[in-house]
Amino acid sequence: MKPAHLLRWYPRAWRERYGEELLALIQDSLREGRSAWPLQLSVIWGGLGERGRQARHAAAAAFKAARSDKGSTILLAGLICGFGLDGLTASSAARPWQAVALDAVLAAVALTGALVLADGLVAFPALVRFLRAGGWPKIRRRVGWAAGVSAVAVGSVVFVWGSDWQSQQNLSWAILAGLLVTGLTTMGAIGLWSATATATARHLTLAPGVRAAQLMLGAVLPTAVSVMIATSALWWSATHPSVTLLVLGLVNLALTIVTTPMRIGRAARQGRRLRTAASGAAIINPSAHRTHGRHRA
Amino acid sequence: MAPTGLRRPNDPPLLILVSLAGGPKHGHALAKDIEAFADVRLGPGALYGAITRLVERGLIEPLGSDDRRRPYRITPPGSAALAEALADLRRVARTGAARLGLDPA
Repeated sequence: MKPAHLLRWYPRAWRERYGEELLALIQDSLREGRSAWPLQLSVIWGGLGERGRQARHAAAAAFKAARSDKGSTILLAGLICGFGLDGLTASSAARPWQAVALDAVLAAVALTGALVLADGLVAFPALVRFLRAGGWPKIRRRVGWAAGVSAVAVGSVVFVWGSDWQSQQNLSWAILAGLLVTGLTTMGAIGLWSATATATARHLTLAPGVRAAQLMLGAVLPTAVSVMIATSALWWSATHPSVTLLVLGLVNLALTIVTTPMRIGRAARQGRRLRTAASGAAIINPSAHRTHGRHRA
Repeated sequence: MAPTGLRRPNDPPLLILVSLAGGPKHGHALAKDIEAFADVRLGPGALYGAITRLVERGLIEPLGSDDRRRPYRITPPGSAALAEALADLRRVARTGAARLGLDPA
């Protein structure tokens, strides 16, 4: 194997930084008459180690993004939309008040989905500008990972769907594995897309009005998710009598009612400050104005 | 101080710091120097893996160079980390020597 080819074992970013130096070292060592095999093994082992380290860093960054307020909200919203809706629609509402509870849950889910969509659409023109300006290579790797995991998730969903597992009494190991993979990859895909959106937003240049709108959407979104959780708990307690779930649902609803005005007020103040700060300039870069530390496309 | 990861005497990061304590060197010169004073032959992968981590921790830094062979030098935090690691090793060596009756502790 040629020394230059050996570098492919390393991540691209590492190669760009250290590749030429490492190549020079390999060539110097070969000129000294050192055996090629140990050198090759050392480089391959080192490259795999770097790739492992990079993967660990990426996973840690994704986890950090998902752990953030906004990230976890989106993750939660996605999970509930993804898993909860299927179970809800599959259930029958035997009594009129149960149907009302179900409608409330579906409305909350639709509202949350609309808010997530609106949050993305608001930043869409800036994203297009970023991509047209040659920004694609900066996000290509993240998008690739997210798309790959999403493809696996879709594949496992198709497999599980095709197995008609709900009608089977004893699930085979294959179906159990499929369900597990579906769950894990769905969570992974949502988390990776959230992290990708967060990372992409750092590159976007947004007008103050757009930033203010995003701040407001970001303040309303947790409320929508809380309403979704509360209505789900209330609906569940209505169809499967459970005092615990009823209490939890009511407590969640009460907390939502108390905290929502505070969140919206804070977002409004931040939006006003952004507009005031940018009154002399038409465009601001959110990376330079980290008013709340997190940005999303 | 943040953990330096310098624990064993044959750790590549420790060997690199010891080598750079004698002056800036590029990769090949580092490998030859380490082989000379420690009788440890570091492969290119191990050497550059350790260099990457040391640069990230700010213990060494690259010097400007037009050549592909970029030299590195030890930084003040690197010197401090090396001194700390050597003190640890000295303590262990003294204790071991004393217990063997080779040298008073």
